[in-house]
Amino acid sequence: MDEKHKQRVRERYQRALQHGEKFWPDSIYKDVLVSFALFLLLVGLATFVGVKPEPKVNPNDTTYLPRPEWYFLFMFEFLKFIPGSIEWVGAILIPTIGIVVLLVLPFIDRNPYRHYSKRVLALSVMGLIVLDIVLLTVMALVPAPTPEQVFFKNLQRLAGLTIPGLTLVVLFVLARVVREPASQRKAMLVVTGLAALGMIGASLATVFPLAASAPPKEEEQIFASVSEQIAAGQDLYSTYCAECHGPEGRVTEIQGVEGLDGRIVTAINSNDVMYTFTDETLRNIIRDGWPESGMPPFGMELSPNEIDALVAFMRYTWDDRIEAPAEAQAGGIPALAEGEVPSYDVHIEPIVKRYCLSCHRPGKENNNYLMTSYEEILTTGDNAPNLVAGDMDSILLQVIQGHEVEGKTGTINVMPPNGKLIKDEYVQMFIRWVEAGMPQTADDAAAAAP
Amino acid sequence: MASKVFEWLDERLGLNDMYKALLDRPEPEGTWWNTLGSASLFLFIMQGVTGIFLLMYYTPSPDHAYDSIQYIMNEVAFGWLIRGIHHWGANLMVFIVFVHMLRVFTTASYKYPRELTWVIGVLLLLTTLGLGLTGYLLPWNQRSYFATTVATEIAGLVPFAGDFITRVMRGGTDLSALTLSRFFATHVWVLPATLALLITAHLYLIIRHGESEYPSEED
Repeated sequence: MDEKHKQRVRERYQRALQHGEKFWPDSIYKDVLVSFALFLLLVGLATFVGVKPEPKVNPNDTTYLPRPEWYFLFMFEFLKFIPGSIEWVGAILIPTIGIVVLLVLPFIDRNPYRHYSKRVLALSVMGLIVLDIVLLTVMALVPAPTPEQVFFKNLQRLAGLTIPGLTLVVLFVLARVVREPASQRKAMLVVTGLAALGMIGASLATVFPLAASAPPKEEEQIFASVSEQIAAGQDLYSTYCAECHGPEGRVTEIQGVEGLDGRIVTAINSNDVMYTFTDETLRNIIRDGWPESGMPPFGMELSPNEIDALVAFMRYTWDDRIEAPAEAQAGGIPALAEGEVPSYDVHIEPIVKRYCLSCHRPGKENNNYLMTSYEEILTTGDNAPNLVAGDMDSILLQVIQGHEVEGKTGTINVMPPNGKLIKDEYVQMFIRWVEAGMPQTADDAAAAAP
Repeated sequence: MASKVFEWLDERLGLNDMYKALLDRPEPEGTWWNTLGSASLFLFIMQGVTGIFLLMYYTPSPDHAYDSIQYIMNEVAFGWLIRGIHHWGANLMVFIVFVHMLRVFTTASYKYPRELTWVIGVLLLLTTLGLGLTGYLLPWNQRSYFATTVATEIAGLVPFAGDFITRVMRGGTDLSALTLSRFFATHVWVLPATLALLITAHLYLIIRHGESEYPSEED
């Protein structure tokens, strides 16, 4: 750049200042206004959108699909076009070249002119790259094509890599070959325009079908409060722990559990456990197991949030030094009022959850009697029906009152099997429920009341 | 009385000279697109302020990081607001800085005499991305853990030095407490200090050369 050109630049700038504005207050006024608008936007986003809750770290969860921040998504998508053997080209080489080019841009771009009409090459290159970044980000937001969807895969590669790459080459060739400014400008604009249309068309042709095929996603449970944790912990305890440790954590000798029958264990609701184990220790034992005592690890089945919930349930229910929050009356089996007819939803389900479900769920030895829903309780099992409306000799009613019954499969044991019947209050609930015709909802129960 | 105080201060601090040098400057006519730089600066300041608040409750250890953020969100008065602003501010800052760069490119404002302003601007963009990357790990949740695993794996693809770089970033072969404390120190100290220095240089250059004018037909 020669001195004469620099001189011209300075002179024109001085002229621009003549009919310009003042930094204070003209520019500052606009700056403050925009900043204030951004501030309101941030408060709005924080209040109405918030931060999406995420489960705690669980390095064992190999199914977790990692996703980068949205502003790195385009890189993530771009990498998919590069074969794994030369991954470093896409992950390291191209980004490094990009950064270096950006850094030294003022020294590469020798074009002394500033007006848009005299910078068609630079603006075309920028336009293509920005468009590619936007399209790659959009493609990263919809599900990736499956290995069978080769056509979509190729189309995406065309839109994200082939067209922009080739167009960049063509633009630089045009800059060398076509020297006449007006026709050069025209040629570049036509090439860029066509390329942009091709990129948009090809990527949108894949984005819409892929977006429509997205499976609904399952969200991991995140507990907002201690009460929610305790309630969830109660359910988890009944499902995963009660089989060995009993519904109240009292068991000292495991009975009727394959592989662990007769094993002597510490009652986990005792002060011995509650006073000497910290939450951290309990979490570790649940996650990693305790092989010497027969305790299996649950780290693969339960997420860290769920383990936290279990520990919270144990602590608030059994540790007599701590009082549970008033709204979190763990277990939630409501007492029956005088003359009230119990319903499945309100009374029976919580009892079943706490005392029966740990064995009467799929994958356990239970004569195929599953108790996870109202329908299952009435209909499943090798000895079905286990419950008949109004029939006081129903198998389930008999066994929970401590009587063995002869069924199709032979002698049916007293339930629960560990020798300790559920509270008489709960047995009475079952009896009154069957008497009233086993209503499912609270409304049905009210209608069945005398 | 007030004018006397002002005179006394002006004599010692040079308030009038400062006013003339910093605020009372002529500028070419600007548009709303010229507010993106100051908007980026504003967002950086917001990130600094909210970040300092978060720092008072956040614990950079694997055992407590997640819980300390739950505590900020659920227990601390307006903790959810501060965290929300910090979270969204980070996203907005990357976006605004990027659009700011596009504006400067489009109007060719990186040309003589503002080449260095551009170079420092690119460094500012990279530092902002670095802040985003390091801040992402701090909540110590599933998303941050696995995203950082991938990011440090990608750094491992650098020919020859890859392994070494990954080990330096992670503080070992795997993500651990060391990784968290490294990212934490980088996020709250190294990068913000770098950013502040770069911003100072950027602003000095802007005041020295003045804001660029929009190109006319003859430029």
